[in-house]
Amino acid sequence: MTDTVSDTTQELAGPPELEGLGKYRYGWADSDTAGSSARRGLSEEVVRDISAKKSEPGWMLQLRLKALKLFARKPMPNWGSDLTGIDFDNIKYFVRSTEKQATSWDELPADIKNTYDRLGIPEAEKQRLIAGVAAQYESEVVYHQIREDLEEKGVIFVDTDTGLREHEELFKEYFGTVIPVGDNKFASLNTAVWSGGSFIYVPPGVHVDIPLQAYFRINTENMGQFERTLIIADEGSYVHYVEGCTAPIYQSDSLHSAVVEIVVKKNARVRYTTIQNWSNNVYNLVTKRATAAEGATMEWIDGNIGSKVTMKYPAVYLMGEHAKGETLSIAMAGEGQHQDAGAKMVHAAPHTASSIVSKSIARGGGRTSYRGLIQVLEGAHHSASTVRCDALLVDTISRSDTYPYNDIREDDVVMGHEATVSKVSDDQLFYLMSRGMAEDEAMAMIVRGFIEPVARELPMEYALELNRLIELQMEGAVG
Amino acid sequence: MTAVDETTTDPAAGSPVNTARAHSHGAGVVPDASRAERVTSFDVADFAVPTGREEEWKFSPLRELAPLFEAAPAGSAAVEVSGPDAVVHRTGTLQEVGAGTAFTPGDRAAVTGWAATAQAHLVSVPAEAELDAPVLVAVRGTAGTTTSGHLVVEAGHHARALVVISHTGSGAHRGGVEVRVGDGADLTVVTLQEWDADAVHVGQHDVLVGRDARVRHIAVSLGGKAVRLSTNVRYAGPGGDAQALGVYFSDAGQHLEHRLFVDHEATNCKSYVEYKGALQGDGAHAVWIGDVLIRAAAEGTETYELNRNLVLTDGARADSVPNLEIETGEIVGAGHASATGRFDDEQLFYLQARGITPDEARRLVVRGFFASIVERIGVPEISERLMTTIETELAATDLAGTSSTEEN
Repeated sequence: MTDTVSDTTQELAGPPELEGLGKYRYGWADSDTAGSSARRGLSEEVVRDISAKKSEPGWMLQLRLKALKLFARKPMPNWGSDLTGIDFDNIKYFVRSTEKQATSWDELPADIKNTYDRLGIPEAEKQRLIAGVAAQYESEVVYHQIREDLEEKGVIFVDTDTGLREHEELFKEYFGTVIPVGDNKFASLNTAVWSGGSFIYVPPGVHVDIPLQAYFRINTENMGQFERTLIIADEGSYVHYVEGCTAPIYQSDSLHSAVVEIVVKKNARVRYTTIQNWSNNVYNLVTKRATAAEGATMEWIDGNIGSKVTMKYPAVYLMGEHAKGETLSIAMAGEGQHQDAGAKMVHAAPHTASSIVSKSIARGGGRTSYRGLIQVLEGAHHSASTVRCDALLVDTISRSDTYPYNDIREDDVVMGHEATVSKVSDDQLFYLMSRGMAEDEAMAMIVRGFIEPVARELPMEYALELNRLIELQMEGAVG
Repeated sequence: MTAVDETTTDPAAGSPVNTARAHSHGAGVVPDASRAERVTSFDVADFAVPTGREEEWKFSPLRELAPLFEAAPAGSAAVEVSGPDAVVHRTGTLQEVGAGTAFTPGDRAAVTGWAATAQAHLVSVPAEAELDAPVLVAVRGTAGTTTSGHLVVEAGHHARALVVISHTGSGAHRGGVEVRVGDGADLTVVTLQEWDADAVHVGQHDVLVGRDARVRHIAVSLGGKAVRLSTNVRYAGPGGDAQALGVYFSDAGQHLEHRLFVDHEATNCKSYVEYKGALQGDGAHAVWIGDVLIRAAAEGTETYELNRNLVLTDGARADSVPNLEIETGEIVGAGHASATGRFDDEQLFYLQARGITPDEARRLVVRGFFASIVERIGVPEISERLMTTIETELAATDLAGTSSTEEN
């Protein structure tokens, strides 16, 4: 850097300590024979082909075809992010990377195993930090394992294709009930071409004390990953599901459009944690929704760090009395990124409670938007809802927006929304530096303090990962 | 993604306003990157008749408002202006009163209103004049008519004035109000919507704040079948300070909608928005949209928005959307809050424990709820009259209210 340029760029780009935030550590790509031969574009033939490859029952094929028609008919959203960069004709809708699902890491092709080793998944499993693992590579789950004792208790944790094959009745009863086939354009798309994802059933009263984990990886360029997850927590049960995702960095864009449906039955509790760290060429357009029955609790913990564009608003429909919904959300947007994330809570029964805490950090010209909806339907008396959004801006070129919709149709409710946007103040930095801290350390500490309310809800290893991510950017600044 | 807003418009069917920006890739419409991209224009052709699917119309009762979307010529509402001698009042065509320098129609009703306005009014407060009495502008509608009007309120530099615009009567009315606040001036504009129960009214108020000027815009909406008021604040220079305050009381079947947009483009300006409303009765509907945009150039901005709704009975609906778009980190502070709830039982209990009857306690709590804004109107007679009106409205809910209090 020459002196004259550096002054202005530094001022524009904000604190150099945060430069590294955009550094992506998962950007390598494996060799790609399956991906290069896969066909591009979407047609009825493609849908029929996917269904045939999976030897699906006829009703599923019919549903897929119906969804395909709806996808064509549904308009693109005219709000949120700019999605005109998505070229639906250039996307590969189904890529099969390996013929057989493995139950041991050694059975996987070396390339794929190597990828997961570098992501640290087998290690975590070995250490029993997780109770079950699903690893999805391209369109299908390539590795699957669940702890034996859970299996004995009747817990089902399989990939969604297997779920349909082996538990068809249960699957049919719930599939598409939380998110209808025509819910929105991308839910229709997912229903037409879905593949992979997790299918989880927890029997009444069973507590799965250690999280189940899924790991999603896109390897092919212009890949479309459409996993479909269905979680049913029967009465009085508990499960914590954690998902992570990464992809290589390519010149052109990939699309990830998942649908996650969760049924939380009476007095059950489900916690769903996402650490989304796609590379900066992935459009991440995901529909996530849960229904919570009487006394049930649904918690979304949603970390959005990667991707080019994310539009994701995990929803909880509070259908039974005393149901509870909670969303904790962190979004970080760096250069070229738009995180349009938020939450949706629909109070459809009396005495229901919801809370949303959203924290966002924009830097390097990135944009974070909180978009949320609180709806209190008639009859949902004695409902309470609080929304808290905080945004931290660390330079002058980044952007932060808040779009909260509140729709209250009942008198006996308490609803509050609050948002603040602040910048890292010189006073805070000065104070910490006067105590002997270097500027980058001080900045890291302020950022960590800002996201702490969300980070502390994460499983230990994920909280560490998040902190490591922030450490990393600071290191990058020194070098 | 979960559709937070499920009223997406099919671009193929002709997106109403932004057709010019429809993308050619066939992959849909590029959403407005910020609130600033919303179309404003003097040309009726730039605004299609709303269908109800548009983001900016989805809360409004279009059937009631339909007459106001028609581009046909309309009569003028009866307007009377009175005030201190120093104030200049002129009437004439839009051109003759110099309208349109700080006002651009932002929706279909505003543009048809502009096009149909035959007689506009100018109220001008000379530079450095300090008025000792308010300027009163009385707008009166007539049942069965559709009227349009445009009012320019101009305060010269370092002037100090209070202008009260009242709306009474019936009919369908479109009103444009253009407020130009000179450098260093201090202006308060109060707009009272005290229509008869069958009136419909769509208004757009554009406020341009001069350098180091201070302006207060206070909207009070009590009457009318459907009222939709859009208030836009812009800054002509640094150091401006704008407050937009509002009070509304929505009864059974009544739609009261307030849309605010504060556009921070100049440096070191302040804005503060506070709207408080109460709702009672079946089909009472209040909509509050508060958009604040802090553009990249607007360093040193300080802004806060607040909306509070008091829902007094079942069957009422309050929509509250405080949007905040921030394009620079060099700001003093930005925030917003929205709260909707019922009576605070503890407050009622406290008052009743002191020997105050439940009815009286409720009246006191509502009075306190609105007082913070009503007191700032600056004309004691008007403040007192409003409180009385609010209490009269409240009296109608006593039956329903008392029973729900006793449930607890």
